[in-house]
Amino acid sequence: MQVTLKVMRYDPNKAAKPGWVSYQVEAEPMDRVLDLLHKVKYFQDGTLAFRRSCGHGICGSDAMLINGKNQLACKALVKDLTKKAGDTITVEPLRGLPVKKDLVVDMDPFFDAYRAVKPYLINDEPPPDRERLQSPEDRARFDASTKCILCAACTTSCPVFWVNGSYIGPAAIVQAHRFIFDSRDRGARERFQALAASTGVWRCRTAYNCTEACPREIPVTQAIEEVKRAILYDKF
Amino acid sequence: MYRGREGQWAFFLHRISGIAILLYLLIHVLNISAAMWGEEASKSLFAIFHIWFFRLGLLGVIGAVLYHALNGLRIILMDFTGWGVKYQRELWYGVWGLFVLFYVPALVKIVPEIVRDITGA
Repeated sequence: MQVTLKVMRYDPNKAAKPGWVSYQVEAEPMDRVLDLLHKVKYFQDGTLAFRRSCGHGICGSDAMLINGKNQLACKALVKDLTKKAGDTITVEPLRGLPVKKDLVVDMDPFFDAYRAVKPYLINDEPPPDRERLQSPEDRARFDASTKCILCAACTTSCPVFWVNGSYIGPAAIVQAHRFIFDSRDRGARERFQALAASTGVWRCRTAYNCTEACPREIPVTQAIEEVKRAILYDKF
Repeated sequence: MYRGREGQWAFFLHRISGIAILLYLLIHVLNISAAMWGEEASKSLFAIFHIWFFRLGLLGVIGAVLYHALNGLRIILMDFTGWGVKYQRELWYGVWGLFVLFYVPALVKIVPEIVRDITGA
């Protein structure tokens, strides 16, 4: 069947503002939006720019705003986005990050926030003879937040992030959660410096867009609330 | 418009109702402070707020305060319990249930007054 793929395109060398461009694409119901973008790029307009790498929902490269919701282009199926032939699928770049070209956004602010929470194990105690052991229960405590693929779908779905780009964002908080609740980690208070700042967790207003947008089904808001409580209870 | 779900609308409404309450509070303080110019000035100012147009606004303010208060309780549950976030959607529907329960008496009291003002009966 034919579907219309309506893409928000922007070339800073040609136009001052982004604009919609529509493409008629032949699509199967089980095609992914990534397949449609490929069809446009390979056969209709080679100048279309977008990021993708693995194409299987694990590298986190192709998060974009599809039909008004943040999704991975490689996981969004045509059958879930259209009702009948001729329907339109809209694709826009992620919000809140500067657009470089078409669907490619500048991810630097996103990864700056990621680095600010020190997303690595911090433990200055002398290492034991073998590995630092952890019970299955302790491992399960932060299991959900290990699943993050840093696609930025959560952070760029957040209304607070759209209007205040200095907010550290849900993705960075999930990364912090992964280590704060790791029984082997001793760096919680170091991370709290970034998380308890005015641009940290307290900016979260629980709009739940992040939780809805996460392609890995991480309970993002739950993680943020747990970090909020960890910071609060650490004061007493 | 981003196609968010209940949580997004709960947040937007909470913010808009919060701003509405703040604006109302400023008008309210100005209104009360009119007493500084004596009884006459105060009463004539109060009379303005009995015009039907302002009574409609009163319905809006009651709605804003009710929603903001009830959703505020939802936020407290989400912030301070382990289960609040999981049931945020159900809690939001609960907010609307309670909202209707408390708002109907306000409608019953104020709407006939507005109708009476407009029709002049």
